[in-house]
Amino acid sequence: MRKLSLMLLLFVLAALLALPASAQESLPDWIEHTACDVDLTGETITIYHFGDISASYAFITQPLLAGIGDAIEYFNARGGACGAQLAQDNRDTGGDLAQTQAHYDYYSTLDPKPDLLVLYASPDAELLRDQVAEDEIPVMISAGSVEGLYGEDGQTPGWIYATNPLYVDQFGMFCRYLGQNSDQFPDPVIGYISWPGAFGEAAFTPESIAYCAEQGVTVLETPEYFLPTATDITTNVQNLVDAGANILYTNTLASGPVAVARTLVDLGLEDDVRLAGVNWTLDTSVGLLSRTALGSDGLPAVNGIIGSMPFRWWTETDQPAIQLISSIADEKEVAAQNRNIAYLLGWATVDTYIELYAQTVNRVGSLDAVDGAAIKETLDSLVYSPLGLYTLDFKGGEGRDDTMNRLATMMFANADMSGVATSGDDALKLALPDGTEAYLPVVVPLTDFELTPDLRPGGADAPGM
Amino acid sequence: MTALLKDNRRYLTITLYVVAVVVLLALFAPVVGAQRPARLVQSGITGLLVGGIYALIALGIVIINKASGVFNFAHGWMMLLGGFLFYSFFTVVQISPVASAALALLTVLMALTVIGWSSLRDLRVLGAGALAAIIITMLLLVEIPLLRGIVGAVCGSVLIGLAAERFAIRPLIGQPLFAMVLMTLALSEVLHGIEQMIWGSVEIPLSLFAGIKDLGLPVPIRFEMFDSSVIVRTELLIAFALSLLAFVAFVAFFQFTSVGLAMRATAENQKLAQSVGLRVRVILGVAWAIAALLATVAGVLQGGATSLSLNMPLLALRAFPAVLLGGLESVPGALIGGLIIGLVQEYANLLFPGTQAGTELAPYLVLMVVLVIRPDGLFGQKRIERI
Repeated sequence: MRKLSLMLLLFVLAALLALPASAQESLPDWIEHTACDVDLTGETITIYHFGDISASYAFITQPLLAGIGDAIEYFNARGGACGAQLAQDNRDTGGDLAQTQAHYDYYSTLDPKPDLLVLYASPDAELLRDQVAEDEIPVMISAGSVEGLYGEDGQTPGWIYATNPLYVDQFGMFCRYLGQNSDQFPDPVIGYISWPGAFGEAAFTPESIAYCAEQGVTVLETPEYFLPTATDITTNVQNLVDAGANILYTNTLASGPVAVARTLVDLGLEDDVRLAGVNWTLDTSVGLLSRTALGSDGLPAVNGIIGSMPFRWWTETDQPAIQLISSIADEKEVAAQNRNIAYLLGWATVDTYIELYAQTVNRVGSLDAVDGAAIKETLDSLVYSPLGLYTLDFKGGEGRDDTMNRLATMMFANADMSGVATSGDDALKLALPDGTEAYLPVVVPLTDFELTPDLRPGGADAPGM
Repeated sequence: MTALLKDNRRYLTITLYVVAVVVLLALFAPVVGAQRPARLVQSGITGLLVGGIYALIALGIVIINKASGVFNFAHGWMMLLGGFLFYSFFTVVQISPVASAALALLTVLMALTVIGWSSLRDLRVLGAGALAAIIITMLLLVEIPLLRGIVGAVCGSVLIGLAAERFAIRPLIGQPLFAMVLMTLALSEVLHGIEQMIWGSVEIPLSLFAGIKDLGLPVPIRFEMFDSSVIVRTELLIAFALSLLAFVAFVAFFQFTSVGLAMRATAENQKLAQSVGLRVRVILGVAWAIAALLATVAGVLQGGATSLSLNMPLLALRAFPAVLLGGLESVPGALIGGLIIGLVQEYANLLFPGTQAGTELAPYLVLMVVLVIRPDGLFGQKRIERI
């Protein structure tokens, strides 16, 4: 009887152990990670990340958290990273560099030390650049200031790897686009208007100004900076327009581009001055925040803003990744404001982690043997397209940013979703409880993906200074 | 020589000021002269309108300082809280009668017990309180979003102001002022946490002024001057008008009401005021409620002009120079200080483009110069400490 009971117990245990394996779903064929030589079942890989999720960057970073969370859930249900379960551990800096330092001190002294960190913002990258190199902790970031990635001389790649193009290169690419389309943009004069600080000022450099001049684009030498809390920026905008600007370029996000667009409308300049900016200006948040700042055509004032779009976008539904992420977002009832660039980046970040660990563990033999230096070695040689959303190629360790970019414009969907609206009358409007109407932003590519110019100090495309 | 200087010290000081002003004018004249007159007008208008918001924020800080001598570092977070409260009541489709009644009752209860719980023993007070609670509840249930927003924000902010005074400031009466100042710093962190927990961190556009066009008002107001177009942002003009109204009301309050006078006395010396029969607790409670209300007005107006975000409290930092410039205890000083800071900021932006002089330097430079000349601010009380 005892023997029978024991056998029954063993059978039940075996069934319980087999159940998760048989219930585990598999990844679709188009997601191709490096095959794992080592089974990491029972292990946990933690994605440590910290940054501003409660101040100026919140509109971008909150969806990033949601994206990382949903992606972790999805991949964990499909085997995680070589069998290891993924987890996340994050902290809020509130945009305060002192908090950034404090959180870095916490994470960098964990035992064991993180193999990899994720940061969100340029100021954080600039602050921690030397420290992560000293502590040998590689960092992935969705930001692109030259100093953070390549040091003050622009030629010293550090331990921070960006998943988007350098801001200065994005600006240069915009100038190149203007030069190539002089019929649409005759005699372009750019006025640079931004937030003060590492992020806001990142694109305005001697190299970008000289490169733009080579493309036949004048960049005014007096940039205007305004605080995210500014009540009115009429004087800043007028300064640039009076100096001859017919294009305003902004390195801001969320309410930043909206403030500039609103002022152009108020000044009656919306038809005379084009608005353009960094990749974050095409984010969903900008389109949604602009609902209280409408142009004379009845559409949000940011309609027609040109910016970089180095990632695949929600409207590119022919992309399997977009189909997958959209279906999960629908399933999880992800709010419209969270269906933005950062949510997609969250998914791409988790996918990149899986690939990085697969490659690294294969090389070093076990998860215990993985450390920051090993991950850095993998990153240096990584050529990978996370979920097909963008392509990472750090050029054998020479590069620290994504050099493929394209330009796009933000417009708004028309009422029957068959195209873009030409005015407020034929736009798709979603009634909101506060009596206003939200407009559905649509990103329309203007160019294909192409190499950005290299405008670091001493960069290949930086004119001799 | 020394005696000569001593005898004519006053004249010498005035002469130095005059020379400084002449030098400044000589320095700025070419820069100003190079500007188009319309731009000077435009920046003046923008500066005044932005200054109106600064002034409103400064007024809230001054009210508390006037009553208690405390510099309230939580004012920025009170602003944002007021803005969020307004947003919530303004946008909610249907409000629960129970929640409305609870908010109304709590606010009335806090107001009635400012003196102490014993006041609830008075049946007349209880009756008046009940009537007030019923009226507030009914107003909150009216299906007019703007009215609901105003009543909800007023109730909520008064409640927060009274609660802050009752549970955070009152226990510190008689303690060194520094303890109260530190308490306001703690309060700011608590409010930060509460706001982040309830409303999240993502910016919220507040469509307060969306209906201006429907009222037939031009948005923005545009007129020709010196052969150029000059604009006035309608929403900022409304905000400015409301700021002025608030100032008129508070100047009258301090000039003509006994509570206003008592507040001034309490600010001088809390222990002394208490010893002559002034109800310091009531005065502090009223001051905090008024300041919270003012913060709410500023938060709602700023939120309507831009959006509601966790950055907004930083705007209060911009009002600090206005407070110090005008004088810590001066209501008119808050107005003048706010307007001066707004104007200085905009003119610095205009005259020194590309330098960040307007946002980072000029307001503080002006503040430093004024404080060197008048350490108590333009309208502050000169204090003589006897040793």
